[in-house]
Order: sequence, then C-alpha cells, then structure tokens
Amino acid sequence: MAEDRQSVDSLLPLVYQELRRLAASYLRRERPGYTLQPTALVNEAYLRLLKDRPDRWQNRAHFCAIAAHSMRQILIERARARDAQKRGGERARVTLDEALVAGGDRSIDLVALDEALERLAALDPEQARLVELRFFGGLTVEETAEAMNISPATVKRHWTVARAWLARELEGLAPS
Amino acid sequence: MTPERWKQVNDLFHAALERNAADRDAFLRTAAGGDLSLVREVESLLASHASSGGFLEVPAWGVAPELMFSDEQASLAGRMVGPYRVVNEIGRGGMGVVYAAEDTRLGRRVALKALIPDYSEDPARRERLRREARAAASLTHPSIATIYALEEIDGVLYIVSELVQGHTLRDEVRAGPLRAPQLQATLLEVAEALAAAHAQGIVHRDLKPENIMRAADGRVKVLDFGLARSAAPGAGRTMTQLTQAGGAVGTPGYMAPEQLSGGSIDARTDVFAFGVLAAELATGEHPFGPDPAAMLRRMTELMEGRAVSGSGSWGSRELEQIARRCMRATPSERYSSGAELVTALRQIDNVPAAATPSALSVPLWWWQFHQVAIAVVLAALPAIAWAIRNGIGPPAGSRIFFAALVLATISISARMNLLFTSRVHPASLQRQRSVVFPWVPWIDSVLALLMFGAALSLENQDALAGFTIALSTVIVASVLLIEPATTRAAGIGN
Repeated sequence: MAEDRQSVDSLLPLVYQELRRLAASYLRRERPGYTLQPTALVNEAYLRLLKDRPDRWQNRAHFCAIAAHSMRQILIERARARDAQKRGGERARVTLDEALVAGGDRSIDLVALDEALERLAALDPEQARLVELRFFGGLTVEETAEAMNISPATVKRHWTVARAWLARELEGLAPS
Repeated sequence: MTPERWKQVNDLFHAALERNAADRDAFLRTAAGGDLSLVREVESLLASHASSGGFLEVPAWGVAPELMFSDEQASLAGRMVGPYRVVNEIGRGGMGVVYAAEDTRLGRRVALKALIPDYSEDPARRERLRREARAAASLTHPSIATIYALEEIDGVLYIVSELVQGHTLRDEVRAGPLRAPQLQATLLEVAEALAAAHAQGIVHRDLKPENIMRAADGRVKVLDFGLARSAAPGAGRTMTQLTQAGGAVGTPGYMAPEQLSGGSIDARTDVFAFGVLAAELATGEHPFGPDPAAMLRRMTELMEGRAVSGSGSWGSRELEQIARRCMRATPSERYSSGAELVTALRQIDNVPAAATPSALSVPLWWWQFHQVAIAVVLAALPAIAWAIRNGIGPPAGSRIFFAALVLATISISARMNLLFTSRVHPASLQRQRSVVFPWVPWIDSVLALLMFGAALSLENQDALAGFTIALSTVIVASVLLIEPATTRAAGIGN
C-alpha cells in the first residue's frame, strides 16, 4: 500500500499538468463541436499519457484516482487564488444548477469543502477518497466501485453518510 | 470525534435510514443505549441528509467550470514590456497570451507572445525553447510568420514575431468547407511552407487550422514553426523525460500515430497533420469525427494501423487521394516531406488555373500590369533597332540590333517567369523574385542606354529617334521609379 501511494505521488504532477493543458485547450474550443464533458477530458488525458508510458498505469481505475486528486488540486488552487484576489477576502461561492438543489443550498465553497474533506479523511480515509473520486473525478458509482475495489452498494452507503456529514460541516451546524 | 466513534455514528445512521421516519426517534434512543450525544449526532446527520438535495451530485468541474477552464494570465494590454508597447490582446494559446505590440526601437508592429511561467521557471525547458527559437528564426518564407526574437524581460519569456493580421483557418472552416480554387491555393501555400521548413530540418509538430492565419491579401501564413516541441507538457528533470515529453506534444486530432506513441518525429509527422488539415478544409468536417469520443475511437484505430476514412464530400478526387496518403498510419507510406506534397498538389489538373487568387489584391494587379506594360516596351526596342540599323551603318547597326534583341529577350523572359509565378504560385513569388530579379534592372538600363546612344547617332530620322529616346526614358523611369514602387506596394520586395 505504501509503495502504491508513492507511485501515485510521482505520477500526480504528470496528470495534473496534462489535465490543466487539456482544460485550457478545451476552453479555447480547439475541439470542433465540443461540449463540456469531464469524462471525455479524463479519457483523453488517459489515452495520451497511456501512449506515452503504458507501464506507468496499472489500469484505468488507477489513473482515475490520480486524475481525481489532480482535479481537486487544480480547482482548490484556483479557488484560493481567486479568493486572494478579491480584496475583502469574501470567498466566492459556486452556484449549483438550481434544478438539482431543490431544498438545498445553492452554492458550494470549494475551499471550505476541501478543508472539510481533510477532516473527514482523519475519521475515515476511504470515505474521503470516495468523495474525491466522485465529486472531483466525476466518476459514477460503478466507476468508483471499480476504482476502489469495493461493491457499488458500499459506495452508495459511504457516499450517503459522507455527503450528509460534509453538507452539515459546510453549513456549520454540527452539534457541539 | 475519533474514527471509532465515527464508525458507530455511521452504523446507527444507516440503520436509522432503513426505518420509517416515524419510527426513527424511538429506534435511535433504544439503539444508542442512553448515549445522548450519539443520538444528537445521528439526528443532525439525518436532517442534513434530508435537506442536502443535489449537494455534490454534480462533479466539481461541472459546478465550477470557470475555475477549471479559466486562464490565469492577466492581460498586458496598454502596458510597456521592455521596448515593446503592448496594443491589445489578439489570442491565447497553449504557450501563452499573444498581443499585438509595437517595437519602439524599430517602429514596427510585432506579435508579442508572453509565455506561461512554466518556461521561465524550468531552465531545461527555457534552454530548449531558446535553441528552437534560434532555428525557427532562420526560416524566412512568405507563408511562414517570421520569428524575430526570444526576449527575457523581468523574468518572463516573450517570443517576438511577425504580426499577421487576419483570421485563422479555424474561423474559415467553422463557416464550412473552402471552395475549390481557394482550397487548392491555400493547401499549396501551406505545403510550400512545410517544404521550406523541412528543407532546413525544421518540423512544425503542431500543424492545425488554429496555427494558420489568412492575411488581408488572401495569402496564408503558418505560425509557431518549430516551437511546438517546447510546448510539451511535463518537461523537466531528466533528459529522457524531456525527449519523451517532447515527442508526445501536439493536438490529439492532428497527431500522427508515431507522435501519439512518443516515437520518433520527422517531416512525415507534419505530412500526417497536413492530411487532416486538407480533409477538414475540403469537407468542413474533421476526418476523425465531430466529437472527442469519436475522435478517440478513430485514433485508436489509427494506432492499430487501420486506415482512416473520412466522411463528407471532397469535391476533388485527386485531393482526396493525396490527403488519404498523408493520413496513412505507417510513416513510410506517406509523402516523405513538404516538397513531395507540393509536387503532388501541383499535379492536380486544375491547380494552375484554380490557384489564381479569386480576388487579386489591387497592388499586386498593378505590379502585374507594370510587368506586362514594360515587357511590351522592351519588345518594341529590338524592333526599332531593326528599323534604324541601316540609318546607323552596316556593322554598328547590326550589332546594336543583336545586342538589343538579346537584352530584351532576357529581361522579358525574367518578367514573364515572375508574372507566371504570381498567377500560379503566389506564395513563392517573393522567393522567386529574389532569385531572378537582382540583375534585371541592370539589363534594362544597359538596353536603354544602348538605344539612347543609337537614337542620338541617327541622322535625318528625327521622328524615329525621338520615339526611341522616349521609350528608353520610359525604361529608365521604370527601373528607377515605377518598378520599385509597384513592387513595394504589392509587398513582394526583399
């Protein structure tokens, strides 16, 4: 496990840079007829890096885990930079699609979420990793199950409780 | 909270969730066995669960696309960068932001590309870019945007190059396929640019519609020649990594299989990208499909050695065959370089006629008109020499006639050659002119002086003598004034 962790750390910068570069090129609309699809982005990064050095990646799930962590780094780094730019220190909140948040909060503070995720990792590292795969990596329940080598039912259980806990953390409503 | 406590909370949370809302309170109190803080914790989580709705259900990059897809570089518009006055931003690319700027030392307009920090921060990458910029700067061709300099100002690297004003071929292909005459002229110009670069051992590596500009005069210019290797992601640390990263750079839809797999890259890699470009310009569609998923599938097929088929109508069978050969998976089955491509494209039947720019630029028209007019005047001189040879006397008269005939023939041939080039291969006119033209003004001058002298020695034929002097004067005026003016106006001077 420790060895696995190390290889992930050494691959992270590679995936990170590739995703950043691809994201920038998608922004410039270099792909004709492109619509925003995270899965396509990950697939393309995977294909490119796989052709480069096939021996580096154990499988697609292995790659997805690294990609998800890279995505988290990119987004949090940029969210922090944007917050720093705003003089008042007022944190930008990201608006969710209203149709999807009936009854819920309409925005997410990504930096706060990142910090909450760190606290969750102290309680249950597996749940934190699962949230990273699903929310930052854009993986479905089935893909997450494959990547973590657990059953989809277990993914759903962990997801439900982790989500409820994170939502509460972000609202600041935890009972003392 | 401890991990053990969290496990307890989890178990109770899931057990409670399985029960009806009405039974939960009673269940919790029993199951918690009097541990009130545990009950409160689970109740609060259940409440949060009930109200969390779509929380986190949309992946982060869907929620925050502007974070994922935004560019961090701030605009320099309106500022001074070293000796450059930045006018406005004209584009953003993988390497950095491009501005139109004025070089205040030379008073000329340039394109200033501010490179992303990756370049200035990594010494190995910076050194490689420096080497490549030096090689690319030696490329001068009418269809290649010239690199002027690589500057380091306040720790940031800038590439200074010729400013091409116009639009990219991506803009054109968005509006649909190019029409036949313009299509072939455009492809020929790009192929000639590749041929010129390949002849100097420079490979573009990232040829695509975004990298080709059409200037106001209708001609195209290829941008960023030879710099693509430096745009490789993940460059750094060791030399092996450098080469690997350097090998895999490019834009997926235009990358040849050997480029995708990090194999060795040469002129044939550009030939592959040229095939994709030709297909896209001719049919208005990318030959690997409209969306990234289809593109990835086709690229996988390519990697496995299967041929690429495109959809859409081509208009020209010959062109389609050329493009298909360019897109072969095996490099040795493609054209070997830009020069071979040029030959193949010229063999398409209708290229000579079709390659004439549909709307000839006005200055170029004047230059062509001048060439025709001066050729007529030049042709008249040997005829006059023939008419006056008896008036001068047998040996001298004949010698003047023969000299005038030879000089006029050489000059007219040179002009007709340039006229032909300007109609058929406008892209190579400037280069052709620099080869042919330096000695033509001298020939014209000698001819004019010869006829001037002959006219002065004529006796009793004032009308003919006056006519000859007038024509000679026209030639001298042409050499000194008209020729340089029309050449400058047409933008084909050296």
